[in-house]
This record gives sequence, C-alpha cells and structure tokens, in this order.
Amino acid sequence: MGGQRSFWFHCEGVGMNSDLTDPAFRRGRPGRRLSRRDVLRGGLWLGVGVGAAPILAACGGSGTSVVGGKAPYPLARPDKPVTLPFKDSNPPIDDGLDPETGGAFKILNYDQYMAPGVMKDFGDEHGVEVQVTPYSNYDEMLAKIRTPGESFDLVFPGPSVLSKMVYTELIQPINHSYVPNLKNVWPEFQDPWYDREARYTVPYTIYGTGVLYRADMVTSIPDNGYDLMWDEAYAGKIYLLDDLQEAIGMSLLRNKISTDINTSNAADVQEATDSLIDLIGRVNVKTDVSAYSEVPEGTATIHQCWSGDPIAGQYYLPKGETPDVLGYWRPDNLSEYVIGSDNIAIPKSASKPVLSHLMINDLLDNDIALRNFGWNGYQPPLTKLSARYLIDQDYIPENLMNAVVQRDELDAGLTFYEVEPSTEALWRQNWARFKAGG
Amino acid sequence: MAEQEVHHDRATRRLWPALAFPGTFWLIALFLVPIYAVMAVAFSGSINIFGEPNPAWNPLDWQFATFNEVVSESVSGTYQEVWIRTGAYSVCALLICVAVGYPVAYYTARLAGKRRGLVLALILAPWWINYITRMLAWVNLLQDDGYVNKTLGIFGIAPVEWLSGNSFTVVMALAYGYLPYFIIPLFASLDRIDPLLLEASRDLGMGAARTFLRVTLPLSKMGLITALVITALPMAGDYYTNTIVSGSPNTSMVGNLIELFLLQGPLKNFGASLVLLLSLVLMFFMAYYLILTQRASRDTQ
Repeated sequence: MGGQRSFWFHCEGVGMNSDLTDPAFRRGRPGRRLSRRDVLRGGLWLGVGVGAAPILAACGGSGTSVVGGKAPYPLARPDKPVTLPFKDSNPPIDDGLDPETGGAFKILNYDQYMAPGVMKDFGDEHGVEVQVTPYSNYDEMLAKIRTPGESFDLVFPGPSVLSKMVYTELIQPINHSYVPNLKNVWPEFQDPWYDREARYTVPYTIYGTGVLYRADMVTSIPDNGYDLMWDEAYAGKIYLLDDLQEAIGMSLLRNKISTDINTSNAADVQEATDSLIDLIGRVNVKTDVSAYSEVPEGTATIHQCWSGDPIAGQYYLPKGETPDVLGYWRPDNLSEYVIGSDNIAIPKSASKPVLSHLMINDLLDNDIALRNFGWNGYQPPLTKLSARYLIDQDYIPENLMNAVVQRDELDAGLTFYEVEPSTEALWRQNWARFKAGG
Repeated sequence: MAEQEVHHDRATRRLWPALAFPGTFWLIALFLVPIYAVMAVAFSGSINIFGEPNPAWNPLDWQFATFNEVVSESVSGTYQEVWIRTGAYSVCALLICVAVGYPVAYYTARLAGKRRGLVLALILAPWWINYITRMLAWVNLLQDDGYVNKTLGIFGIAPVEWLSGNSFTVVMALAYGYLPYFIIPLFASLDRIDPLLLEASRDLGMGAARTFLRVTLPLSKMGLITALVITALPMAGDYYTNTIVSGSPNTSMVGNLIELFLLQGPLKNFGASLVLLLSLVLMFFMAYYLILTQRASRDTQ
C-alpha cells in the first residue's frame, strides 16, 4: 500500500467505484466476437441503459417535495433554537429494557473516528461484534443510512444535517433514562440550540477548522495561514477538506468575500468557488479528510483540517519523529474561527437500540471519553475534560495547544448551519464545478 | 393438403413475432424504459428534502431549466473544458489505437500464416483478466516508487508523477484498455479481403506500398471505421479508467462528471442531463456511421 495512493480507501468510502458487479464495467466487454452495426447499435442502447441504472435505484422512496426551495421545518440558529418534534410514528424505546446480545453492532461513522479499543471493550462486554461503516462526508452518510433494508445502530450527524434527518425519520429519539452521563457534558450541550432538550442527539466532539502543516518544511507562516494553501512552493502537497461547506466556507473567509459562511448569495459562493478552482491549476490541490495521517506521513505538507487532526497526528508520525514537525494554524480573530460539533444519534433502523443507548452513555463517561480522545484526538465537550485538564494530562504537545477548543470560544466562533434546500443546491452546484476541475 | 398449408401459414405467422420478441423486449426494457427514466430525472422540476430531483414521470410536468443550464455550461461554461478534454483524450487514444492496432490486425490477417490462431489468442488474452485488475496493475507499476520510475532511475531520469492528474497516463490507459476492441473488427475486415484482388494489383504492376494504399486500405475502410466507432463509444463515456489511473479533477472526462453527479451527492438531474447530452453527441456520430455503412452496402450492390 505504502500510502502512495488512496485508491483503496477511496473504494471503501465511495463503495460503488470499484464494484465489480457494476454494470458499467461490463459495457465494453462483450464475451463473443464483435460483429457489425447491430451490435454497435445494441452497445449504444446498453450504454444509455447502464447510465440509467443508478438513477432508477435512487428513485425509490424520494420523500416529500420541497416547495419553493424552502425547508418544511424551522432551521435552527443559535438565536432561534429548535425543539425537534416527537412523532407517534417514531417513538423512543421503552424504559428498562434488557440490552440485546449477539451478532453485529453497526456504527456509521467517519473513518478512524472512534478508538478501536473502546469499541472492542464494548463488544466484549455485551457479546456483540462492533463494525464500522465509514463515510467521508454527510452526502455519503445520508446515502448509506437511507439505503433501503440497511440497518445501523449509531450515527454521528452534525447540526447541519440534523433537522432533515429527524423530519424524514432517519433517527429516533433518545430515551434519557439510559443516558445518565449526559450530566457530564458542558451545560450548553445538554440543551443545545439545534436540538433543545437533547431529544435526538448527544454531543460527541467539538473542533475548530484550521490548517495542519509540516513545521519542518514550512519556513514562514503568513498572517492568514490559509494563504499557505495558495503557495506554489508546496504545489502537489496541498489538500482541502473534502467537505463542501468547509472548503467553500474557508475560501469565503480567506478571500474576505464574506464572513457569512452560510451565505445564500450566489455571487459570493461563485467567487469563493472560483478561487478554489484556481487552486487546481496553481497547486494541483487535492481533497480528502485524512489530514491526521497524511501530514505526519509526509503525503501532504499543507492540509486544511479539523483541530482534532493535529492532536491525532502525533500518533501517526514515522518512527523517530517528534510532534515538533507538526504545526496547527487557526485564525487569530475568533470571529473568523469556524467551530463545529458532531453529535451521536440512533438511527431509526437500529436493530440493537438498547445497546445504542448504552454505548452513548459509555461515550459520555469521563474515563471512556478520555480514552477515546487519546486515540482520535477529537475533544469531547465534557466538563471534567477541560482544555487545562487535557494539557496537564499530557495529551496535547506544547506546540499544538492552540488546537484545543476553549469553552468560551464557542459563542464567538462561526459555525455551519442547516440551510434552505435552495441555498444547499447553490453550494452543491458550485462544489460540483470545483470537483469537475473548473 | 390445403389444410396443411393453412397450418404452415399460421405457424409462420407465430414464428416471426416470436423471433422478434427478444429484440423488442431488449429495446423496451433496456433502452426505452431506462432512457425515459433518465429523462424523467433530467427534466424534473422539484427536489426533495435531500436536494434530489423527484422524477417527473408525466411529460407535462417536464421542466428544462437544468438541462438548458447543463447545455449552456457545456457549450461555453464550466463543463466546456471537460467536453474538450473528453474529445481530445478520445482522439489521442484512438490515434494510438490506429498506430498500434492497424499493423497488428494487418499482420494477423495477412502475414501470421500458421501462427494466426496463436496471435489472435494473444490479442484476446487480456480479456481473460478483469479490466480493473489490469488497471490496478498499472497503478502499481506507475507509482512514485514503482517499477517504471525505478527503471527510469537506472538511466538517470528523474521520477515522473504518473498518477494523480497526468493526461499522458490517462490517454495511454484508455488506448491500452480498448485496443483489443479495436483490433478484432479491423482484423475481421482485413481478413475478408480477397487475396486475388491483391495478387491482381501486384500483377498489374503496383508495388507493395501502392497496393496497400490503393487496394487494402480502401477495402478495409469500413472495418477501420467500425473499429473506431466500437472503441470510441465506450471510451467517450469511460470514467473508471480515469478514476483509477488519475482521480484528479485535472483530467476529468464527461464520464467522471456524470459519475460525480449521480453517485456523489443529490444533483442527479445534472448527471441525467449530461447522460442525455452525451448520448445525443454519440448518436450524432452513430448516425454518420450508419449513413456511411448504408452508402457502402449500396455501392457493393
């Protein structure tokens, strides 16, 4: 493997690219001798038909229409908190049920986002095999959780996709009687603006967005660290997060186009995207969400990242290198610092919902959460595990202390919201322009 | 006697529709229905909560805003470069196919003699191995520290970044992948040329080169065009070759754009519109080919 190519990871992530049963691969491979134009004609038809297959597959259960590009539910904002509705058709589980045993406990999550030891101990304790299905962005997550007949027991949606998942009943309410450890989390996360009363979610991690770089190769850090991504000196070794909100949002901020990272202004989004497209020709920019391994291993020199990546990065360094070779830049001005959070939720399709509740409670346990943090580098918003505590416990190298999110930074920073479907379509169309290579 | 004839007629009357059934079924189930589904998605006028188009099964509901946008972006917008690239890559790969494939087909048909079966078997040999596997083998060879760069290193040549966005690699991979499809129909056509015609040409005083140019090449013209069409059609819609040996937006072809829209994210109406547009473009070339073949068969009559 050698870390040369991410093809295998890519396959796992996308799931369909290398599927040998994909009819597209059969298109050009007739088993018998090719003859004349009839075969050609048939080939053309087949080609067209093959193109339709994924669409047909995607047509099932498309749900409600969105009228006028507006979401049919209120969109949560810190100043307009949302209490997600309980529905008769989607009740929480009853109190006091026995945990399920045997078989698989299936987690739908980012790759490398939960400590294998934590999962193994949970599996051993409850007699199940914990399996992870990875995704690298919310589009993939939604595609997988919506696959008919699929069942997952745990999923990790952020606020920007939460309301639609509740509206379409992809996740079920959490029965708090199984989750006494919710009291361990920061008070604002016990009753967050995107999910008052923590009805459907509990917090998992908080993180800022910045730049992870090789401090031994990057000689000087510009005032705006995002300028590093436009620096030809590191061409070929520069990566963006493979996340449309993070990438376009960064460009909005870096190019001082707008400080509204949820903007619905088409011209602003277009200008920000054009600047990203410029990166393709300028530095052959690439996209993924693996800064934690690629910068330490040297594949990337500059990588837009989440603040958990530098902290996890220290565990991915080649033998003999110290965390000194890593550097994390974040905006000095808090009003330009993007701070996000991920939540834990229980899919409605869960086959072991009681165990799901128990694992959620485990992940909010101070000791288990600390152990998880010590592996993935992403900070859980637990009162006991304050920034000071984590630093004192030697989890954070001296030079990466700016990667810890302080509780008082939360209100000052920016965050990505769930936006109107029309705004989302605008961002997506621009992201597709970037992905298509300009 | 008369009764028997009636029976016979009835049987024939049933036989012909029965023979047409597989073709008709194929046409309806695997062409008309899918293409209608593609149109229903491409011309959809509404989206669901996930931003996906709701298929408009009723043609009265069709809206053409997305399709028009895709067309205008393709003609003079952001997709223009992708279309140009698709055309350029396909043409380059086809030229390589002609340069490599024609001599091979010619040799096999005219000069291989007893070894003909063996040569044909060798040409077909790659088909025994899965396409993906062959391409992945190239990925191994072309890696930054792979055998190709190591070999170049022996001659003091600096390592080349073959993968991650190298147009040359994509063109070579396309030519490599589709070469057998090019050789076989061309071989069939060269093989059908009556040796007596060639002998006549030589008897009448033309040299080997002029015989080739004046007799063999014109007679194999239809075979050459068939081979080009058979290779060009799948090549123009290919996305997996590109994904494997490049994966960079720098080398995106239309197939990659379609894959991006259909498999990643909800903008499936954009992908469907591109499918329709690509089909239209290819049908244009197909129509030209059909006119050519018709003319050719009229000429021989």
